[in-house]
Amino acid sequence: MSLHLEIVTPHGKAYESPVDQVILPTKQGEVGLLPGHLPLLTQVDAGELRVLKKGKTEYLAVSSGFAQVMQDKISVLTESAIDVEEIDPTVVEQAMAKAQAELKEAADVDPEEMERLETMVRYHQAQLLVKRKKR
Amino acid sequence: MSSSTRDIRRRIKSVKNTKQITKAMEMVAASKMKKAQNEALSGSEYSALLSAMLAAIEDKVEGKFVHPFLQGRKVETRGILVLSSDKGLCGPLNGNLFKKISEIKSAAEYYVVGRKGAQFLSRTHRNLIADFSLGDKVAYTEVRQISQLLIDRFIEGRIDTIEILYPRFVNTLLQEPTVYSLLPLTDLKNILSDVTGRKVGGKVVGARELPKEDRDMIFEPTPYEVLSELLPRFIHNQVYQFVLDSKASEHSARMVAMKAASDNASSLLDDLTLQYNKARQAAITQEILEISAASLSN
Repeated sequence: MSLHLEIVTPHGKAYESPVDQVILPTKQGEVGLLPGHLPLLTQVDAGELRVLKKGKTEYLAVSSGFAQVMQDKISVLTESAIDVEEIDPTVVEQAMAKAQAELKEAADVDPEEMERLETMVRYHQAQLLVKRKKR
Repeated sequence: MSSSTRDIRRRIKSVKNTKQITKAMEMVAASKMKKAQNEALSGSEYSALLSAMLAAIEDKVEGKFVHPFLQGRKVETRGILVLSSDKGLCGPLNGNLFKKISEIKSAAEYYVVGRKGAQFLSRTHRNLIADFSLGDKVAYTEVRQISQLLIDRFIEGRIDTIEILYPRFVNTLLQEPTVYSLLPLTDLKNILSDVTGRKVGGKVVGARELPKEDRDMIFEPTPYEVLSELLPRFIHNQVYQFVLDSKASEHSARMVAMKAASDNASSLLDDLTLQYNKARQAAITQEILEISAASLSN
């Protein structure tokens, strides 16, 4: 029996495929999911999501969100997800610089806005890290 | 005589130009409407999954937790987000919205998207708090800033409800100004079943079957924490969907208005062409009469 992974974003399904194993970045650290996992609803942290498929590993960068595991179907709900193949390092670096500049400017802004910006930076960092590892 | 034919010819030319412009605007609006609808459709998976997650957790925590979003309280100030358009030339779309605003008599804070709405609210001296502007291509992150502000004000207690006034897309010909109450979610269950089978552009989409599961679901870190993170996302996404819906409405209203304008231009052109031909023939007849009269008198 194999797992089925889908990543859903407000702009459509970013990923959908049968997989063998998923390693998910959650708020409490990484969680490996295998077939037959207990039903689970957990908070996903911005970071790298690894997919093991037919002996090969695929890397995806996800933003923070939620994951639901039910009957070997993993549904990840996140605001953005990117296949590492599609990441363009220069664009990511620019976006990161922008986000960090905003962070500095927003030093005295309320904590929730801070949190949002920090998530953005983490997401971009994750994209970069994942991409570099791939090369 | 030739001066009157020239006048008519000039008018024909200007009407033709106008018709070309309205025709082009009609086609642009049609394609933009299609795009907005497609975007709403591609977001429906997200809405459905979000609702499914909320429903799962709702079953688990039912009534055990108190969350500000789920508590109805005495309404002193309503928070109303008005979704209007930036540009005019879209028929009665904005006018209908404004009529609806005029009917609101209770104390309220207004938040607005679109220049037209901002103009109306400031002209009628209403309590306008924030004026946002969104392009034709709406990004989720842009909309989230709007809903975040509303949520913040709600939590601070400055507003006691979050409502959205928007032109609901019924079909291409009909857009209905509708007030939808987002917060508080006093009846989450009903709302969820409502949202899962939501209509986007006239089609019911996104109804999501929950896989059957006998085992108890684990929530990490705790059900309450997951719930309190899920709820704001639910609101963000609702607002996003409403914005897309209002964009589809705007473009379809503009398409219909421009189609009417093109049709009017066509019938005006027919009339003018007939007038022109008559004038031309009258001029020719006049000339022949003059020539024959001159040759007869010789």
